[in-house]
Amino acid sequence: MKITWSWLGEYVDLSGLTPEQVAAGLTDAGIPVEWMEPFVTGVQGVVIGHVISAQPHPDADRLRVCEVDVGQEQHLTIVCGAPNVAALQKVPVAVVGSRLPGGPIGKSKLRGIVSEGMICSAGELGMPVRLMAKEQTDGILVLPDDAPIGKAIVEYLSFDDRVMELELTPNRSDCLSLRGVAYEVGAIFHRTVTMPQVTLQDVRANGPAVSLSAEIDTPHCSAYAAQAVTGLTIGVAPIWMQMRLLAVGVRPISNLVDITNYVMFEWGQPLHAFDYDTVSNGKLVVRQAFLGEQLTTLDGHERALTPEMTVIADAHHALGLAGVMGGANSEVTERTRTVAIESALFDPLQTRRTSRALQLRSEAGVRFEKGPDPAAVTSALARAVQLMCAYAGGEIASTPVMVGRDLREDAVQEREVTVSPARVAAFLGVAFTPDELHSVVQRLGFQAFDEGDIMRVRVPSRRFDIAIEEDMIEEFARLLGYDRIPATVMEGPLTPGKLTLRQSLRRELRQHLLAAGLQEVWTYALVSEQAAQKALIPSDHPLAHMGALQNPISEDRRLLRSTMLLPLLDVAQYNANRRMQDIRIFEIGTVFHPYRLPMDVQPAEMQVLAGVLTGHAYAPSAHGDARKLDFYDAKGMVEGLLQRTGIAGQVTWSRSQEPFLHAGRSVDISVGGIRIGLVGQLKSAVAKAYDLETVFYFELEMDALTALVKAELHVTELPRFPSVERDLALVAPRDMPVQTLLDAVWGHGGTELREVTVFDVYTGERIDSAHKSVALRLHFWHMERTLTDDEVARYMEQVLAAAATFGVSLRG
Amino acid sequence: MIEQLQALQERALARLQEVAANEDLARFENWRVEFLGKKGELSTALRAMGSLSAAERPLVGQVVNDVRAALESAYTAAYAQCLAVVQLRQEESEALDVTLAGRTPFVGAEHPLQKVIRRIEEIFVGFGFTVEEGPEVELDYYNFEAMNFPKDHPARDMQDTFFVGPDLLLRTHTSPVQARTMEKRHPQVPVRIIAPGKTYRRDDDDATHSHAFSQVEGLVIDHGVRMSDLKGMLLAFARQMYGENQEVRLRPSFFPFTEPSAELDVRCIYCGGSGCNTCKQTGWIEILGCGMVHPNVLRMGGYDPAQVSGFAFGMGVERVAMLLYQVTDIRQFYLNDLRLLQQFVGLIR
Repeated sequence: MKITWSWLGEYVDLSGLTPEQVAAGLTDAGIPVEWMEPFVTGVQGVVIGHVISAQPHPDADRLRVCEVDVGQEQHLTIVCGAPNVAALQKVPVAVVGSRLPGGPIGKSKLRGIVSEGMICSAGELGMPVRLMAKEQTDGILVLPDDAPIGKAIVEYLSFDDRVMELELTPNRSDCLSLRGVAYEVGAIFHRTVTMPQVTLQDVRANGPAVSLSAEIDTPHCSAYAAQAVTGLTIGVAPIWMQMRLLAVGVRPISNLVDITNYVMFEWGQPLHAFDYDTVSNGKLVVRQAFLGEQLTTLDGHERALTPEMTVIADAHHALGLAGVMGGANSEVTERTRTVAIESALFDPLQTRRTSRALQLRSEAGVRFEKGPDPAAVTSALARAVQLMCAYAGGEIASTPVMVGRDLREDAVQEREVTVSPARVAAFLGVAFTPDELHSVVQRLGFQAFDEGDIMRVRVPSRRFDIAIEEDMIEEFARLLGYDRIPATVMEGPLTPGKLTLRQSLRRELRQHLLAAGLQEVWTYALVSEQAAQKALIPSDHPLAHMGALQNPISEDRRLLRSTMLLPLLDVAQYNANRRMQDIRIFEIGTVFHPYRLPMDVQPAEMQVLAGVLTGHAYAPSAHGDARKLDFYDAKGMVEGLLQRTGIAGQVTWSRSQEPFLHAGRSVDISVGGIRIGLVGQLKSAVAKAYDLETVFYFELEMDALTALVKAELHVTELPRFPSVERDLALVAPRDMPVQTLLDAVWGHGGTELREVTVFDVYTGERIDSAHKSVALRLHFWHMERTLTDDEVARYMEQVLAAAATFGVSLRG
Repeated sequence: MIEQLQALQERALARLQEVAANEDLARFENWRVEFLGKKGELSTALRAMGSLSAAERPLVGQVVNDVRAALESAYTAAYAQCLAVVQLRQEESEALDVTLAGRTPFVGAEHPLQKVIRRIEEIFVGFGFTVEEGPEVELDYYNFEAMNFPKDHPARDMQDTFFVGPDLLLRTHTSPVQARTMEKRHPQVPVRIIAPGKTYRRDDDDATHSHAFSQVEGLVIDHGVRMSDLKGMLLAFARQMYGENQEVRLRPSFFPFTEPSAELDVRCIYCGGSGCNTCKQTGWIEILGCGMVHPNVLRMGGYDPAQVSGFAFGMGVERVAMLLYQVTDIRQFYLNDLRLLQQFVGLIR
């Protein structure tokens, strides 16, 4: 919302205040002034001139030599190239020594004739030409005939008026009008507000009269007021009005339209003027649109209406979309002599839905959506009538029409809010005095009545945001100053601050991975439609079933990720493309698994710890022993995490079937038959799609880890007797998983077998190609005594016998 | 005899010097055997004492012991000195270029947004808060209605929303965790929670906007909670987060779920309040929105606003991180360029 300093000063006494003070005051009170600057800057010394004559230049077809009176003794000779310059015009003249936004003006010689200055266009003056009519911006700016010769243009066109942009929060739509801002400034600076005193007048005795009536035939309009004005002459609005509208960003159009806009800014009440002669029988009906009804709006678009939209119509067809935009069929034109001015209250919700459905945003729509002040409806109408009579030669042509709720000023109910000063003190932690509270009420222009321990505050309808005691508490606090609130220490019982197990585990595992040299990343949860396909996840795979946004901003961010694989590979690709070789990244992120598509209930949201590894196992150094990562590095990384969680002993490993993983180098991680994660090398085709070479991926489900985590410990007593170690060199079928062998060892090694380690696996020249050698070390100990060699030998025999059943023998 | 012993000592010491000059540890042993061994010269001399008279024996014995002590200490010193020289020579020959980098491990860094969240969590956990979490795909009810945004209310325009299904959306703020916590805990007090998490708005990504971002929400409900408590709590927070001498100020604002509402500013962390470009010459930087919990929100959460009151606050994590680390483009946080993220290695706080 933009306002100007001079315009604001029409309604509230600003004497002794600077614009800077007012801007600071508004900002401190919760209406931040985003910026403040003069309406037009960079103009100095430009004055109004009267073109006495304009003769063709003897040596140039397009130039004219003008004699211009700028109120000095001597007329000036000015050479002008604008085609529209003509004798008897009033024009802005940049005399020698003046300054324009483009630079200073000096004498210049144009084809042999000295020009003593320059006649200016709107653009040269730095005016907002984007908002101005073509006639005003093509060629020089022609001023009204009554413009005073010699007067400074800065003053005449209010260039030095200060424009302020207010950043309004949604609750303060009362400040979508000069009136609202004036009351706010009045409250902040203890000033009185004076709005123009206008009341609706009846038609003059023996004056022209037309028939005007209105009817509300919908629940979506609570009040409708209108009046006809006739004898109008369509022209331009007074220059000060045009300048104010330009300053607040509104395009001046004609005196009638400008007046409705001016009054809307003044009172916050949108108005509309219908060409009375287009309204059949002078009867306006507010109703819902018919199915299939069409209306061409003022912007020239043909709109298909629906029964959810409210229209203003006559007996035959719709004339306008209520509260949103007028229709072209009833538009005010140059031939208009009589108008019906409408001032009404339309349903905010309805207006909002209609402007959304048609994607039509207008100043009127914005104000109706917030619900204007019922008390301003008739004042705004009366004000518009008054201005049309004053600036468009109009005359009242009908009695004021009012249907719907009673809008007479005393009939609009003030709201009553009960305030307890004791509660104000208890709520804010600062005890304002009763006098202070009363002064705030008075500054706001409200009324208060004491009743025992409470105050009854009467809130006028313009402040519809104030409905409950807390709203008044905020008024007290902000107008007496938030700085008055002290900083206190909370009372009440002490509470232990702590993290949940899940949160602690997350931190623990994060720290573990950081120390293991993985960089944490944060990726977007939204991925592209093609993401799954790029990672070779087939369309019938559960991970390809991702929830979709109904209103995405781009196709790249349309689906809710089902796996961390997709965003992490994107990060790896991004970095690989920037010549990074060693990419070791992880994220603890949310993945979304919808129950049904399209989603109609919340999906399962799961936190997953996932990582991508590619490049070297250790940072390459000068020492010549760099090595590329392999599967066992990746698996070891996961084993480290499982150890850190205390569940390494509970997991089982089995070949993974995931389509994006290498069939022979990937493994599912399960506990109790339920998969809790996986780790493996990516298929080379997947790696290639992301510009990567050998790359590994792992993931673990955080919820599963949290459920299994070792959160308690009772230590096992240490053995007091020496342990016995035995090494076994075995020959096993080459494709037999070592785990099978280990299971057999554990199954038959007896109760004193405590540890088994695999310390070598060999395939190669020294063994036939169908077999591999596996070296195991077994540790036995007894808690109560030293084991005898015989006992251990018996266990070893049992182990060997069991191994033999799998075709495993001692290496000869 | 005594003269002989003294001559022996002189000879032995002269030999020891020769041995030492050779810097050969094996010759020391030869010397020791020759002079101090069981069959060495000193032992031989000692055995010869048997032929001495009883009067001479103690005198000569004393001399023998003195000579032995002198030789042994000379030997120990010379040996140690030689050993040091020999070892040093050996180590010199094994010397490495120690300025060459070691086998440096990879070191990861916490993501800057995570770092900020952790710092905020640690501060509030220290104040007796617990950490709550909520779903990112949220029901319209928790995201809006329970937060006092009625359907079709213009306040919803403040937050452009991604929808995923009927009444199903990506949460636009972490505030629904307030509603869920109240629903779970009511009518118990005190409630003292913070809720960090990811949030989404339908904004085009640019240097200052991101469709995905993070917030930390805070909620306190108890008997007699005052707005001054809000200010005190956030002052304590600001001092831990932004420096011991921090000051705060509240400015009136609006959020549907708080009344009164405020923005909280701290003294500019760059200029300290004298005015600079970061604070746009105001000396203050806005760090969060806050306010007293709106009675409608309390009521919908199952609390009676006549019995309890509360305050809430919420801050944008990216904004804090941008301020602290001078990141100028919010997209940097989600681009995950390792060259940027690795700069955070070694940042302790």
